[in-house]
Amino acid sequence: MTSIYNRSLHRRSGDVSLSLFALLFAETVAYSQKHVKGVNELEERLNSLGYSVGYRMSELVMLREGKNGVRSIEILELMRDVHQNLWKALYGRSAHSLEKSRSEEDEYMIIDNNPIELTFISVPKDISQLSCAAFTAGIVEAALDGAQFPARVTAHSSGTDQFPQRTIYLVKFEPQVVEREASK
Amino acid sequence: MAILSLYILNKSGGLVYQRDFTEKLNKLSANDYLVLAGTFHGIHVIASKISPVSHSSGIKSIDSSTFSLHCLQTPTGIKFLLVTDPGQSNAHLLLSKIYQLYADYVMKNPFHQLEMPIRSDQFNRQLTIYASST
Amino acid sequence: MTSKPLKAVGEEVWKTKIDKVNAELVALTYGSLVAQLCRDFENNYDRVNEQLDKMGYNIGLRLIEDFLARSGIGRCSSFKDTAEVISKVGFKMFLNVVPRVSNWSADGKTFSLYIDDNPLADFVELPPQSENLWYSNIYCGVLRGALEMTQMQVHAEFVSDVLQGHAATEIKVQLLQILKDEIPAAEE
Repeated sequence: MTSIYNRSLHRRSGDVSLSLFALLFAETVAYSQKHVKGVNELEERLNSLGYSVGYRMSELVMLREGKNGVRSIEILELMRDVHQNLWKALYGRSAHSLEKSRSEEDEYMIIDNNPIELTFISVPKDISQLSCAAFTAGIVEAALDGAQFPARVTAHSSGTDQFPQRTIYLVKFEPQVVEREASK
Repeated sequence: MAILSLYILNKSGGLVYQRDFTEKLNKLSANDYLVLAGTFHGIHVIASKISPVSHSSGIKSIDSSTFSLHCLQTPTGIKFLLVTDPGQSNAHLLLSKIYQLYADYVMKNPFHQLEMPIRSDQFNRQLTIYASST
Repeated sequence: MTSKPLKAVGEEVWKTKIDKVNAELVALTYGSLVAQLCRDFENNYDRVNEQLDKMGYNIGLRLIEDFLARSGIGRCSSFKDTAEVISKVGFKMFLNVVPRVSNWSADGKTFSLYIDDNPLADFVELPPQSENLWYSNIYCGVLRGALEMTQMQVHAEFVSDVLQGHAATEIKVQLLQILKDEIPAAEE
């Protein structure tokens, strides 16, 4: 009997429809809403769901890079890896930009003009501060934690006329990460 | 722009979406729109029942000298009513595309409650984009 | 019904009308959800199954519109037709798999779907003592909800699952009744 341990992890499984993902995600949001009080708790729940995905996906990405895979030892190197390779593995493209905060030593931002989980979502005006992209924020948080660069990641809507779903993922590294970087 | 206005009716004939895409139409009150929708729903049922042809599909379009009204009823009982200038030949294509936008930006919005009025920003935006391309 | 064979319709819709995403993303997301439910219900797998079915039902009520809008398929002439449409067009355009339809009952009201390569089950190994968890139970709810919106009341349940070490992944679908009163005017 084949078990999952026999299967090669290098085989990419192919595609399913965006509709399926969107409908599954929408129902997940609806279900989560019933178990929380307020926007912050909802975002935390979505973050935690994403965390579970990110934890596994980042390991897969690392494994598939094989001999070329090198653990990042610098923040910027890691952020670039997330911005390009992790995004490509998840969403088929890299994120749109990567920025370092000018004022805060421990903050970086990844910007995505149309996060996939927001494709069909319209947030009601009375909870307009909600970003369901907290899900991807959780994925990123897990990837960073897994790489030994612990951080807190949150998603913030920053829509423009051209990109109404534009989202900024704010990455705030733990103090020990910044200290370690500074000591190099 | 081929689309003058759009009405969407839920399964029970209630109006869940109404929008004019041009300034040249008369504005009605909110209540008038509800009555209009309910009336159409009723007429649609009657038309299919009195049709001399069996398995009649009910009202597909109403043509007048000043406008045409086209109806797409889905197997799930939703009606999309499209008002266009008279003689719009590709109404079924327009309605088809509008149904797809509904399936995307209304059905996949977790904040939309089924059978309730549609208040999805993205649906409005996508309709605007689509309507201006027609 | 469409004059083109259903298999070809399904493949054309998948190729030309469907935006695609990485199946692994969906498998991991679904897995994350199931794990969350197991925590919420403290590993009471009967209740997890129930919740998955309920969530699937809610999805089915919405998924049907996407199915109808994109496939252009109209009302089916028989339940046998429905089964073929579900496997060759429905499953194909959402999951890119075509389950086998088989095991018809004599009265034509019950059939089984056999899923050979379940995209949701990728990377999954079930925890110990979870013999009564139907991991992909969301499918049963989706079928129930989608068919109800086209006036067919069905009962769908898992019979076996390779994740549980069984030989096949099988869902049994039974037609309970046609909801005649709810058929939209002019569809009779």
